[in-house]
Amino acid sequence: MAQGEEQLKAWMLGGLDGDAAAHAALLRELVPLLRSFYGRRLGSAQADVEDLVQETLIAVHTRRAAYDRDRPFTAWLYAVARYRLIDYLRRRRIAVSLEDVEATLVEEDFELASQARMDVEALLSTLSPKQARAIRETHVEGKSVAEAAAGAGIGESDVKVSVHRGLKALAARIRGTRA
Amino acid sequence: MNTEQLIASLSADVPRVSRHAFARRIGFGIVGGMFVATFALMALLGVRPDLELAMQGFAFWMKWTYTISLGLGAIYAINRLARPVPASLRGLWFLAIPVLILAGIGIGEFASNPSSEWLGIWLSRSWKVCPWLVLGLSVPIFIGLLWSFRKLAPTRLHAAGAAAGLAAGAWAATVYCLHCPEVSAMFVLTWYSLGILLATGGGALLGPRLLRW
Repeated sequence: MAQGEEQLKAWMLGGLDGDAAAHAALLRELVPLLRSFYGRRLGSAQADVEDLVQETLIAVHTRRAAYDRDRPFTAWLYAVARYRLIDYLRRRRIAVSLEDVEATLVEEDFELASQARMDVEALLSTLSPKQARAIRETHVEGKSVAEAAAGAGIGESDVKVSVHRGLKALAARIRGTRA
Repeated sequence: MNTEQLIASLSADVPRVSRHAFARRIGFGIVGGMFVATFALMALLGVRPDLELAMQGFAFWMKWTYTISLGLGAIYAINRLARPVPASLRGLWFLAIPVLILAGIGIGEFASNPSSEWLGIWLSRSWKVCPWLVLGLSVPIFIGLLWSFRKLAPTRLHAAGAAAGLAAGAWAATVYCLHCPEVSAMFVLTWYSLGILLATGGGALLGPRLLRW
């Protein structure tokens, strides 16, 4: 199970405070993230993916003083990964202008993000409007249960029940389409 | 080495990185470089003999205020450029303030002197060496900053190099004030700034080669 920003950041902060176990857990967890980041972008040069992953782990380790504890960890990580990728392309003298690389990277991320958003919207549209709204507000937009309840003019427990039932229905539907 | 071995060896030694490590690293680089620059200045050029007297006058503090505010602006820029996530440099407009104030003082100087004196005020005695001495004194500070950057992660290397060059130039000019007897604002505005700009340009050119990681 891939870990999210919160867990990664907690490990990073642990490592910064000298906790070797947290640091190791962080680096281990970054391996699949980085493999997929470089794997998607290197095309035919898949043999170099592991080198780039290792270089990035070393950079995360030696340059962790450049991480600002008050900012998101994943944004920092992917900025480091991007830099390593651009440096790799430059070393390989692959003829691409850096602006192009940046543009593709931004585009790809945007594409992934919007695909994810469309998937979520498609799934939510299969639920009742009340359940869809409760899930969208509390899980996608990040509102609190109290805010969602006030916005919809219903009770907090009503929101919680809607979210619970809605997620259960979605889980059943996803399992159903995969099986 | 496979990735699992690499992780094991990297996590074998995980020193604590304090919250202030970033600022301290940049500070050490600059201060260390300034020590070397000051030592070189004392050994090769000598501190101006009337330093104590000069420190009671306006011109000395005008010069220091100018070079130190440029130096602080450069540290702000380094602070932004030494992290991989791009940050806005909009705060740098602040660097225009010392330049404009100094230009204002310079215009005042010209206005209160006959125009036949202007060239003498502007060039004075040391205009031919001043920019080069500032550039020379900036070298150890720039090297100090290269050391700082070794644990930091700049991704815009031209800009980061320029910021390091600006810091090195401005703090070198601050050190140079201990030697330089010039008193005119126009002199400082032109020749000090030229030395600082040379250091900035050099940093921008060398950035991609020296700061890449």
